[in-house]
Formats: sequence, structure tokens, C-alpha cells
Amino acid sequence: MNRKPEVGTWHADPAHFKRSRRDFLRVGAISGLGLTLSDMLRIEAAQSGRPRSEPKAKSVIHIYLQGGFPHMDSFDPKPDAPEEYRGILKPVQTRLPGLFFSEHMSRMAQVADKLTIVRSMTHTEVDHSRGEHSMFTGYRPSPALVYPSMGSVTAQQLGVRAAMPPYIVVPTAGSQFLGSGYLSNQFGPFALGTDPGRPNFSVRDLSLPRGIDDSRFERRKSWKGLVDDHFAKTQSEDDLVSMDSFYRRAYEMLSSESVRNAFSLKSESEEMRKLYGMSGLTGPLAFRNGGAARFLIARRLIEAGARFVSVTFGAWDTHAFHYRGIETQMPILDIALAGLITDLDRRGLLESTLVLVNSEFGRTPKVNSGGGRDHWPRVFSIMMAGGGVKRGLVHGSSDSLAAEPSASPLSVEDYAHTIYHLMGIDASKDLMSPGNRPQQIVMNGKIVKQLLA
Amino acid sequence: MFAFQTLLCSLLTMLPPSGPEPVKIEVFPTQVSLTHARDRQGLVVQAIFADGSGLDVTDASNFNLDRPIASIKNGFLAPLADGKANLSVIYRSRAVKIPVQVSDAQKVLPLSFRNDVMAVISRAGCNTGKCHGAASGKDGFRLSLFGYDPEGDYFRITREMGGRRLNLASPENCLLLNKATGRVPHTGGIRVEPDSESYKILTTWLDQSAPTDPAESRVLVGIDVYPKEAVFAKPGLKHRLVVRARYSDGTDLDVTRFSVFVGNNESAAKVGESGLLTATGPGEAFIMARFDKFTEGSAIIVRSGKPFEKSVDPKAGEIDNLVLAKLDKLHIRPSGLCDDETFLRRAYIDLIGLLPSETEYDSFMADQSDDKREKLVDKLISRPDFGDLWAMKWAELFQIRTTNGISDKALKSYDGWLRSRISKGESIDSIVRELIPAVGGSFDNPPVNYFQTETSPQILAENVAQVFLGTRIQCAQCHNHPFDRWTMDDYYGFAAFFSRVGYKGAMDPRELTIFNTSEGGISHPVTSKSVKPKFLGGDEAKIPPGTDYRNVLSTWLTTPDNPAFARNFGNIVWAHFFGIGIVEPVDDSRVSNPPSNPQLLDLLARKAVEYRFDVKRLAREICLSKTYQRQTSRNETNLLDNRNFSRQTARRMRAEILLDCINQVTGTTDSYRGLPEGGRAIRIPDGAAQNYFLSTFGRSERETACTCNVKNSPTLSQALHLLNGETTGGKISSGTVVPKLVQQLGDPNAVSTALYLRCLGRRPSRSESEKIKAALAQSGDPQIGLEDLFWALLNTNEFLFNR
Repeated sequence: MNRKPEVGTWHADPAHFKRSRRDFLRVGAISGLGLTLSDMLRIEAAQSGRPRSEPKAKSVIHIYLQGGFPHMDSFDPKPDAPEEYRGILKPVQTRLPGLFFSEHMSRMAQVADKLTIVRSMTHTEVDHSRGEHSMFTGYRPSPALVYPSMGSVTAQQLGVRAAMPPYIVVPTAGSQFLGSGYLSNQFGPFALGTDPGRPNFSVRDLSLPRGIDDSRFERRKSWKGLVDDHFAKTQSEDDLVSMDSFYRRAYEMLSSESVRNAFSLKSESEEMRKLYGMSGLTGPLAFRNGGAARFLIARRLIEAGARFVSVTFGAWDTHAFHYRGIETQMPILDIALAGLITDLDRRGLLESTLVLVNSEFGRTPKVNSGGGRDHWPRVFSIMMAGGGVKRGLVHGSSDSLAAEPSASPLSVEDYAHTIYHLMGIDASKDLMSPGNRPQQIVMNGKIVKQLLA
Repeated sequence: MFAFQTLLCSLLTMLPPSGPEPVKIEVFPTQVSLTHARDRQGLVVQAIFADGSGLDVTDASNFNLDRPIASIKNGFLAPLADGKANLSVIYRSRAVKIPVQVSDAQKVLPLSFRNDVMAVISRAGCNTGKCHGAASGKDGFRLSLFGYDPEGDYFRITREMGGRRLNLASPENCLLLNKATGRVPHTGGIRVEPDSESYKILTTWLDQSAPTDPAESRVLVGIDVYPKEAVFAKPGLKHRLVVRARYSDGTDLDVTRFSVFVGNNESAAKVGESGLLTATGPGEAFIMARFDKFTEGSAIIVRSGKPFEKSVDPKAGEIDNLVLAKLDKLHIRPSGLCDDETFLRRAYIDLIGLLPSETEYDSFMADQSDDKREKLVDKLISRPDFGDLWAMKWAELFQIRTTNGISDKALKSYDGWLRSRISKGESIDSIVRELIPAVGGSFDNPPVNYFQTETSPQILAENVAQVFLGTRIQCAQCHNHPFDRWTMDDYYGFAAFFSRVGYKGAMDPRELTIFNTSEGGISHPVTSKSVKPKFLGGDEAKIPPGTDYRNVLSTWLTTPDNPAFARNFGNIVWAHFFGIGIVEPVDDSRVSNPPSNPQLLDLLARKAVEYRFDVKRLAREICLSKTYQRQTSRNETNLLDNRNFSRQTARRMRAEILLDCINQVTGTTDSYRGLPEGGRAIRIPDGAAQNYFLSTFGRSERETACTCNVKNSPTLSQALHLLNGETTGGKISSGTVVPKLVQQLGDPNAVSTALYLRCLGRRPSRSESEKIKAALAQSGDPQIGLEDLFWALLNTNEFLFNR
């Protein structure tokens, strides 16, 4: 059913081609047999005869630096630029000869040999939400359609692993474009709902209510079975089938020790907490480390089987008093992120986990009159590590003012296509959008081979 | 013996391929005019049989012209000499005559860039979004997407980078042809075969020095696809399609070979590049042909081929008859009618968003009168909750929410305004007539908040088109809509109605004043010319000087003569009661997304006008139809039918209604921002108000005007919340329904029956009762057992869904 049209033909144009809705309904019918949509897609992929090599990135931890992250004050310092451009931060030498980060990234500098820094990310959207749509979906925003985020596409394409929700946002979706877009909201993110840095952190509805123990819950389940039976016998609606499948998944989650533990930080040692900056800090940083726990829980979630975890961290929209704004956040980001990379690497998880740090855009090369930096999508930096990307690589570069790409510009489409490739998802495949209009997962993208290990 | 053989032979040759005698044949097109030497016209002959099915008999038909003015080969007419003649088409015992006219039979017309060359380019796919039609072009060459800017395309092909793309000295050796034929490396591959007609058109045009079109050249005004519909008796049959273009000078042209064909359901019918259809399996498909900026479609039905008996129902009403007519075409039998308990619960949820109480259940079930369902519907539509429910639905489409600086105070008056109009019995057309031209302060005249919610003329125009006309014009902001009729001219013409909305502050900083600027406009991005207001799908508006554009628009929108407004209204009301529109999604009516039952939609539109857009009367009529009252279970003929209302659909209750029902059955309340404690969730005034349950179950936050903001599909978080959240367990304990019932009824089994009635609107079946009895006996403390049963009842699909 997924006959791929010849590249470049009219038929390959995703602009509103239609395929049968019934094909999708069939999936609904088959899911009665316990097959998920992703099973279907895998079967389909297998049947299409294309050998599918084992994907490099078995999980993704995506860190979204909300508001627009200053590339020149982090991964792409310009010490030789005029003062109003280079700002007040000093560059620090990283572990890679000739590569400098800003002084707020000194711990990251120590793990630079494990990272890929892209200094030439570029798009044209200056507005927050338009930039978010571009970076999270791989599509420029369209007036006609909201595209699904990478996490939702991952959930839809690859499905559940080890009873864990495939796509989780920490603590909540930091952007409306981290959602399921035109896909069904069943592929939307599962949100922790509360910040894991809070004392007594727990996830809503994930533990049995007070007063209900396991045996009572078992009895309730059998009551539900008793009540369900009558109606279930006569019905075959798609939504009923999928509601039932979500109940089954919920049961699995609730009965799985490892799932429940994944959503808790209780078993993490003090040493581990120190590594992530959750404790052991002195000075003002000790009071500003609330976000650090998000990085640690992200590791726990992917370890337990989640496929795509999006962590939102910080508020980077520093139109005024830029340097005051970033000095309260970037050092803790530095510690927590370096902690995450180190931790993953020590556990041997970095090979199979893609860590992705991005933002909707960078910030203006020149500091404005209010001491701030404004929105700048023309060139900015993103970071990747593990999951099949090269270690210790700087890809592309910006010009001497960090204003334009000067080598190997990375487009949103190529970026997204490459990430999907690492996850083993064929980004040229069509998804079905409303009105039966197939849409390619990413249109016009290609794999950036230079990034791959 | 010899005679017999001769007879047999002649019988065999005379015998048509197979099958019964048709009741008639139809020939398309119904007249032919050939206007120049290269003109051709294909014909298609369809035999119609007594069972309503059709068969392409073009190849089996005989064609005779009474004067030799044209040649006929393989169903194609080509000119021989000028004149008029009649063409007789004969198939078996049936014959049809169509007029044929030939003029300028010897004249070879020069090729037109607009009409001939662009057709080749479009057909070859050069100007699609993936290729040179992309905003930035491809590999240095850009064309307008789907050819929305022919003048620009002519410039880019002939003049941009002079001498590179064309070589008039040696036409066959230019980059355009070399790329298209793949003679030099071309990312897009071979698009035009060297011996094709497309290639000849390009080379001929180049031989003629690649002329531009004379200023007065004819313009394409539309296309027709023949036949407009076809019913196949069984899978496997084939049928050809013919596409004819109509031009401004009255001429026409067979453009089948330049059209792009797309189907929407390959499991029912497939279409080949040449426009040849193949029925692949039982079901429906809509086949579209696109030529230039026009798209038209042909509705295809494929029957299973199994024996079928028509449904006969003397008691069927107007709605039912139209539904049954469609089902008969499809060879589908509808499901039976639902029983009284199911109807009671369904009507309660759909009409007032609540469940019947035990007393209401008892009195309805005890009523023996024939018109009890009618009485029930009348009772429910007169309850204020009916108005609240529709106020919520319109509020979603108006996007009533605190956004863009709309203060709580302004929101309260905006919401209050809508509610007061509805409770006064005003219908949506009069509300729209107040909304669209609104001017004044956002406190004094609440509907002006509509213009604070969205402020750009483009988005306002898109929203009005989507919400009140049921069509999405967004695509046409940047290019002509490839699968609908909307062009950029339509888009900007419609947006121009909102180009004079002025904004200024008021005394209170929370208030905004909206006024008519009386000047200014919007310009077309391609021509940069100012665009005059033009009704969507209609003419340029005649606006007397000094009149607010929006006044003219609101009058046009809501006039009973505007079929789109009435259809859209009818469809919205219909979809509320079936979970799916006749056009689905309800706000995405397009040429390529036709109504599943156009006659039914027209009927609803007529009724809407007749009832002056009164939701109550239309809802009443729908609820009293047999179509609404069908069961959700299926029979073997309607197993796959989801679009033709052959049964009801089990629909998950929308978030607000579900929460209201949970509160109702558990005897609890919630507090919502902007409402007193105990208020119903369907009355929450602000779309931006936060509530975990409601957002988890897909309440619309009203961020856009799209109906898709209401999400009723199940998710994992919903299941977890119902299993473990306070909305079930917490409300069961705090509402103390179980202890009260125990006290009142004593017998745990009587309590379980009462809980069933409360939640599911039915008594437990005998086998359920036995199981419940056994389970209660096992559970020790009967109250705990009953609370667990209650919990299970709130967690079962039979509760969560309206069925």
C-alpha cells in the first residue's frame, strides 16, 4: 500500500495526493489483533523488501532551549569580533585543539570530544512559534496545516517499547509545535506534568490512588472486564478499539516496576545528583539548579524504553539585559548537560542515544541598545552527541560576526531528515494528513553524511 | 444445418459482449465542436442498466455521421471538412444522436504559451512544489507553483538568463528540451518523451520563435469531466474519462491527455494517467482531473457484485429517503433502529450533554405512546442546556478566549453577548450579521472582540471562509489551490473585505475600539495591484462609497441565496448528531472533498433556510429521522461504510460533556474559571481556561477557528487518568452516591442496577446481574465492591461513548 512514486514526478509531490483512508482503517481493524500501527508499518517496511539496517539512534533526548539560544555566547564565540558583537564573555579552550566555547560552557568544553557542534544551522523564521515549527517538525509553518513534531512522528512510526510511552515531554511541552500536529492526538507527547526538580516529585495518574493497593486494583480490573463485555461484543468502531488499546497500555505501565521507577528519581545516588548539578553546588548556582533534574529523568526515561524525550530548559529570550539573563541559566545548563553526556557515555548509552540540543533560532550578532540580543535565524548553533553522529566534530561555520553561515549551511529539512535517518525512519515516506492528503515526513531533505559517524 | 450455423454466426457477431439490455445509453460530451485542424474530441458511451449500474460501451458502440465532416477512430472525432452533422451512437437496441460542428477544419492555429505550452509543463510536473514550483525554484530554475503566474513563467523560460534555456536558432537543442527529455543530466529525470505529443508541442512552439500570447488570447474558464458519475456493478470493470476545457471565446478542447488524474480511494477505483478507471473493489472513490488551475471530479461507486435487495421503508422520511437512495446505489443495507433505552441516552447526550436520570429513564420507558421519541426530543430542545451546548460550539468557531490582549472583562461581555443572543432564540445568521460588521469599543459592543482575536485581514478572511462557508482558502494565499477552485485572486479579493478594519485605544487600557478606516486596501502579491473586495466564489462586490466593506460581506454571507452558508450550517448541525459530516471534515469542503451525499446536504440547506437557521428545528428533524435512530452495530453489507450514515457511530463524548456527565452521575461539582461553583463545563466562557481533565480529553482551546481543535480521539493519558485520577475514584468517594444508594435501597444488587441505570442508561443483563452478584458476594464489604463497580462503569467504553 505504500507504493512510492518516482522521485520528482508529479505523483511524488506531497501536495494533496490522496490514498485510501481505508488502508488506515484496516490498521484499526488489525489492531484488534494486538498489532499497533507501528507494527503495521514495520510489517509493511519488511514486505516492501527494503532491508532495514539497525538504527543508530535507538532513543533521542532532545533539549529545547526555549526562546532563542545565543550561539555566539555558547558554542560559537567570536573573540575577534568588535566588542558590540562579541559581547563580554571570554572564550575557553575545549578538549579539541583550536575549538573554543564561551566561558559559560566550560564543563561542556571538557566533553567537546564527544560532541558534534553545528555552527551553521539556518532558516528564515524570525518569530518564536514559526521558528519552533521549523525546528521541531522539519517544515516551514504552513497556513494550511500544522505538522507533527519529530517526537510524534517517532511515536507513530516506531510505537511503544517496553510499555513506556514512546514520546515524553519534560516537564511539559515547551512549545505548541512539540505536539502531534495533523496526526491523531494519540501520538502526542506524554507529559510529566510536574517538574522533576520539585521535592516529592511524582507523575500524575501514574501510581494507584491512595487507598487502592494492587489487589484492589486487580479486582477493579476484573470489574471493568465484567462491565466491558456486553458492549464490546457488538462494536467495532476504531476509536473504541484504540481506547481499549490505551487501557491495555496503561495496565502494562502500571504493572511494570521498571516503568514506574523510570518516572522517579528516588533511586539515584547523591553522586549522580552531583554529576547533574542537582546538588553539591555552592553560591548562587545552588539556588538555580531546578532544571537539572530534567536531564537526569530524561536519561532514566530512555533507559526504560522511551524513544523520544523532549526536555525544555530555560528562558533564553533575552531582548534586554542579555548577559544578566544568561548568567543565571547557562552555567547550570553547562553542568547538567555535561553531566548527561558523561553519564550516558559511562553507561555505554551514548552510542545508541542521540542527544540533541536546539532552539528556535539564535540571537542577533550585535548587542542592542538595551543590552539585549534579538531573534536571529540566519545562522545559529545546535549540538548533537551520540546516536550515530561523529564525535568531536564541528560542522559548518558562521562568518566572523556570527551573522551568516560561511560554510556548509544546515537547512531545517536536511537537519530533520538526518535525525530521522539516525532513528531508522525513512523521512521520504508519506504520512496521512486530514482530507486524505499524504504528506512526506520531511519534504526535500537529504541526509547530511558529514554528520554521521 | 448450414442455415443454423449462419444464424448462429450472425447471432454471435450481433451479440454484444455480455450482460442484459441497457435501459438507456448516454454519450459524453453531448455535443462536439471541432474548431481547428489539430482539434480532437474523445467520446465516452455509457450504458445504464435497470439496476442503476453503468458500463463503458464506447468500444462496442457503432458511430455514424450523417455527413462526412469528421473522422471517427477509437472513439475520437477529428475534423475533415467544415459543416454541421449529426452523430448517431448505437449500442444494441439503444441509440443517441448528438450534434457535431466543424469549423476551420484546415486552419492550423498557432500554439499558445498559456494554453498549450503551460499545459505540457503542468502535465510533466515541472511546476510542482517538489520541483521548479518550489518557492525558491530548483537547481536555479523557478516556475510558479501549479502555474499561477503564467506571465512570470513565460519571462523565466524565455528571458531570464537570456539564451540559456532556449535556443531559437536550433530549437531541438536547447536546455529546456534537453533537460525535459533527459538528454543532459536532470535531477527530475525524463519528463517528456522525445516522440510524444508534448514534445511536439514544445518544439513547434520553439519553431514559431517561442511567442508570447496575444493580449486578447482566449482564457480557460473551466473544465468538465465526463461522466460525472459511474456506478460499477462489480469490481474489475473499466471506464474511460474525458476531460474537456472551456474557453472564454466559446470554444472547447479535449484536454484528457494533458490532465492529471488523482483518485481518493484506490481500494475502490484506480485511475491511470490516460484517465482510464478501473474498479478495484466495493466502495466509493472520487476521481479528480486537474488541468491548469481547474479541478473537477467524477463520483465512482463500485458494488460488491453480490445479490442485493433494495431497502423498502414506507415510513422513511425525507432525510431517510435520500440516505437510502445512496445506500441502494452502493448496495448497502442500513442497520436497524435502536431500542428505546439507547435512544434515550443518545438523545440526552446529543441534545443537552447530560445523561437521563433514573426517573427520566423510568417515565420514558413507561410511556407507551407512539410519539414518545418525538415528545422526548421536544422536551430536550426546549431545555436551556441545548442553547448552552450550541453557544459552546459557536464560541469555539468564534474563538472566544482571552488572547491577544482581550481582558477578562471584555471576554465576559463577549461570551455574555453570544449567550444572550442564543437564549433569546436568535439564530446564527442574525448573530453573524451582528458579528462581522461590528464596530465600537470591546466593552460596549462585545462582538468587536472578534476583530481583536485575529487582526490580519488574511486570517480573518480564512476564518470566515472556514467557519461560515465551510471551506479552507489558506492554500490560495501563496498559490492557486491545486485541488479546489480558489485562486489567489479569490483569496485576496475575499481578504480585501477586512482591509479596512481600524484599531485604536479606548479610555480603559483594557479596551480596544474597532472602526472602519474607510480607506486602504490589500494588494495582490503577484501583480502588486490593489485588490477589490470579491465574494468568495462570487462576483466583485458593488460597494457604495462610504459603506463599510464588512456590512456588505455579512449581508452576502447570510442571505438565503448563499448556498454555501446554508450548506455549511446544515452540515455542522448534522455532524453534531453523527460525529461525521456529510462533508468531512465539516470545514473542509472542496472540489476534491465532495459531500458524501450531495442531495442530502442540499436538503439540509433548504431546511436551514426554511427554518431560518434555527438549530432547534433542524436538530429536531434530524433526531426524528430513522437515520439518526439507527443502531451502532453493523451488518455484513455496511461493515466498511463510515461515510453514508447506514448506521450510527459510537462517538466518545467530548471533554466538556464527559466531565459534566461524570459530575452528574457521581453527584459532584467542579469549579471553573469564570463560572460559579457547580457550573457546567460546557458553559466555561474562556477557551484559555485551564483544566487538566478537559485538556486531556481534547477540549478546544479555541486557538484557531478550525473544528479540529476539538479532539475526541483516545490517548494514553486519558486511560491513566480514568484509572487512577481523582475524576473517577475521588469523585466516587466524595459524591457518596454508593452509601446513599445502599442506605436507600439496602440490597446491593438493587444498588448495582441503579448504578447501571445512572451510568449506562440501561439495566444489567441477566448474565451481567449474575456475575455482579457473584462478584459482590466475593468482595466482602459490599460498599467497596459497589464502589469498584461504579469505578468500572466510569471506565467502560459504554459509558465514555455515545452510542
